[in-house]
Amino acid sequence: MQATSVQPNIKIPLWRVRLRLAWKSFKANWKLFVHNPIGVIGLVIILIFALMALSHPILMKYVWEPRVYDPVIGYDMEIFVHPSPPSAQHLLGTDPLGRDIFSQLLYGTRFSFILGISSALISVIINTTIGAVSAYYGGVVDMIFMRLADVVTMLPFIAILVVLSALWEFTGFTLALVYGLLVGFGGNSIVIKSQALSIKVKPYIESARASGGGDWHIIVTHMLPNLLPLSFLFMMFTVTNAVFAEAALSFFGLLNIRMSWGIMINTAQAAGYLLAGSEYLYLLLPAGLAITLLCSAFYMVGRALDEIVNPRLRER
Amino acid sequence: MTEQMLQVKDLTMHYKTSKGEVSAVNNVSFVVEKGQSLGLVGESGCGKTSIAFSLLRLLPDNAEIKGGDIILDGDNITEMDKKELLKVRWKGISMVFQAAMNALNPIFTVGEQIVEAIQVHNQEINVAEATVSVAELFTLVGLDPKLMDRYPHEFSGGMRQRAVIAMALACHPKLIIADEPTTALDVIVQDRILSQLKEIQQRLDMSMIYISHDIAVIAEVSDQIGVMYAGRMAELAKSNEIFKRPIHPYTYALMGAFPSIKGPKKSLTTLPGEPPDLLNPPSGCRFHPRCPRATVQCRQEVPPFIEHNPEHFAACWHPMEVENE
Amino acid sequence: MSEKNSLVRVEHLVKKFPVSAGLFKTSKSFIHAVDDISFEIGYGSSLGLVGESGCGKTTTGKLLTRLYDPTSGLIEINDPKVGQVDLATLKGQDLKEFRGRVQIIFQDPYESLNPRRTIFDTVAEPLVVQGMGNITQREEQVSTLLETVGLTPASSFLFRYPHELSGGQRQRVAIARALVVNPSFVVADEPTSMLDVSIRIGVMQLMMELANKMGVSYLYITHDLAVARYMCQRIAVMYIGKIIEKAPTEELLANPLHPYTQALISAVPVPDPEFQRQAIPIKGGVSAPIDPPDQCRFYNRCPFADDFCRDNPHPPLEDKGDGHFVACYKV
Repeated sequence: MQATSVQPNIKIPLWRVRLRLAWKSFKANWKLFVHNPIGVIGLVIILIFALMALSHPILMKYVWEPRVYDPVIGYDMEIFVHPSPPSAQHLLGTDPLGRDIFSQLLYGTRFSFILGISSALISVIINTTIGAVSAYYGGVVDMIFMRLADVVTMLPFIAILVVLSALWEFTGFTLALVYGLLVGFGGNSIVIKSQALSIKVKPYIESARASGGGDWHIIVTHMLPNLLPLSFLFMMFTVTNAVFAEAALSFFGLLNIRMSWGIMINTAQAAGYLLAGSEYLYLLLPAGLAITLLCSAFYMVGRALDEIVNPRLRER
Repeated sequence: MTEQMLQVKDLTMHYKTSKGEVSAVNNVSFVVEKGQSLGLVGESGCGKTSIAFSLLRLLPDNAEIKGGDIILDGDNITEMDKKELLKVRWKGISMVFQAAMNALNPIFTVGEQIVEAIQVHNQEINVAEATVSVAELFTLVGLDPKLMDRYPHEFSGGMRQRAVIAMALACHPKLIIADEPTTALDVIVQDRILSQLKEIQQRLDMSMIYISHDIAVIAEVSDQIGVMYAGRMAELAKSNEIFKRPIHPYTYALMGAFPSIKGPKKSLTTLPGEPPDLLNPPSGCRFHPRCPRATVQCRQEVPPFIEHNPEHFAACWHPMEVENE
Repeated sequence: MSEKNSLVRVEHLVKKFPVSAGLFKTSKSFIHAVDDISFEIGYGSSLGLVGESGCGKTTTGKLLTRLYDPTSGLIEINDPKVGQVDLATLKGQDLKEFRGRVQIIFQDPYESLNPRRTIFDTVAEPLVVQGMGNITQREEQVSTLLETVGLTPASSFLFRYPHELSGGQRQRVAIARALVVNPSFVVADEPTSMLDVSIRIGVMQLMMELANKMGVSYLYITHDLAVARYMCQRIAVMYIGKIIEKAPTEELLANPLHPYTQALISAVPVPDPEFQRQAIPIKGGVSAPIDPPDQCRFYNRCPFADDFCRDNPHPPLEDKGDGHFVACYKV
């Protein structure tokens, strides 16, 4: 075919090159991301919370006495009246059941992260797959998934969570599983499908087919990488929604969970301290602020990512 | 001596982008006489559409006219404020935008949109009078006036283009700018639209500026041709003159780059390289990296836009002396 | 041109799209996008498929690469490597193998490359999919091909992304991708119409060079007669799904026989201000080919049409000598 072939002069193995390219692209996206102060603030908040979550097991093991500081069963017998306001031993005070609020806050952070990120991952894996497959195959497959999405969207998910709650006690992960499944099969898959549809008609997909690429090859090599930015974006918002949903439902006492931020507020309310006056704010503020801040932080990161992911910036 | 309708002197316009300043239009000068047409030809990024938006003062926020004068029928519109510009736009100059057929609002009928255009610029006219005008405009552009009450999606591509031309004519402007008016259209429809435009121009004794990348289209519709390259005007002359005696090497290369169905099959000239990035344009003459006649002088000094032959302007240190048949 | 000498022989190719009538009803109406066309492409030669938008030329190109499945008809490929095959009926593994023999280049250089894949991945994809060569061989092959299409030095282009390249460079990548598996036949769907004028010639000349060097034939789809003249030895003119005239290029341009071809040629603007072009007027516009009546497709617009044209089916292609075929009762 050609008289002289060109040695590519690539002494570096291919995987190294790809790694280098990935790093370069990450740096470029990072630069775009930090342009937006909102995204940076959100990210900083998330990092602080992450540190808090990580610190809890360490504190429990090495610094605190479990009998006193355990977030669920701890009890400080040296203090006569519980709840007690913030003090030297209890930075944020104790709740009506005698448990250290700061410990609860840190434990709740861990819970929220597990809940948020797991449900985000589960829902995103499901709705990206559904979106890609529906868009690619169309026809009956598409119809089934879209009708399923309609049904799932209509499901009274609060009622479902409440009923399931009656059957067993949720951990962060199991709640995330249920929430992730409910969201994953629901409305977001339609949005991803529409993005997938716009990819499906691009000439590079036809080129891949003309070269002999099969369905699997096209979906995995071409569609998914182009869908992942959008999926990642949805992940951020799913975390926000999951954490907030859990907090709201726990507050109403509808979920059977050992300890979370929602449970903290629920405990305060059940003991009658919700509207009891400003000296009991220490019972409500930590959990309330934590919920607000973490949810907002993920939302802010999501908004900042939106500007990177938005196709307008991606092309040309 | 025909009077001058539009005089552009040393127009310079830059865009500010996050990556730097783009010098989109640099020291461009030309004159369009009453009832005459000028064709601006060049490739993407050469500045021809930017000139059009500058003339209409329809620039985005990050664009700025850095210098030069635009004189329309005796009035200097470069310095006009918003209020004064409202009187000029659409009544003095109007424009048929690129891909104009997609610029029609799908939820209003075509007639309604043109009526709106008329009323915005002439507050005293009521709907009934405006509708009569629209019917006249439709006939002028070759559309059946009964189609006024139809929606854009019921029009074909060619018909939509005519509708947009009718809209541009709505306030009887003195000058119309047509930016790639036939690019997305098939050859037969293109031919009809172009001949319609020429007929309208002659009937209304209107001045026109055609913008296109297709030198064949420009050759057919323009009395005068201006060749743009990288934001500067490379050459300006009457159509016959520029084809017979092209001076600028870019003009010469451009003419040789269009295959033709008439005449013997000639070999085509390749131009090495690509049109330059206007964020960092080449020094001196912007064409020098691709020019077969370039010398050190071309790299260092910007050639002045001067009259090489009578009424034939070009910006080149080493003008060609070619005589085509 | 004897049958044995043709690389590609298409006979009575038909493609009908159903006009959707609902989910569970079968369609009653069809769009006759490609309506019984036949043509041949010789070895190392190019056929230009010319016509206005909606005439079915892009559909034809996609049929020849099996991006659409034909409703009926024969697509015979006489590939020197793999023998004679009817591409229209291939399935499964055979079809996949044959995909390597016919490739396609698209019009839009910005959309025909996956923005998230490197140039190397894009050009190597056909090799990967066809299972040709190991990594080192692929790297070598891709680099060689990049240099051949004018992207030198190859090493600086291999791991760039499409958005770092210009339109002309991207189209060269698309050409490299089409040729990397050494096909015998490439469908080029308006490959230069979205490129700048000064870039077009370079790309067209590259394609011609590669045709000679690699022995590749083209089906060159375009609406621009001038470009078809430059690139192709033969031209076929399509109108609403039918080929209404086909002839060697110079013969067609000098002596167009079908009224539509004549009108088309007369409508092309000529880059000469002194030339007085007389456009042949034909009324009306192109209609969508939904269930077209069985008469000459051009009847409504033809200046020479008469009752005979109205009452008889669409005229067949007749040989007028010198390889010049026309479908018209009035010639």
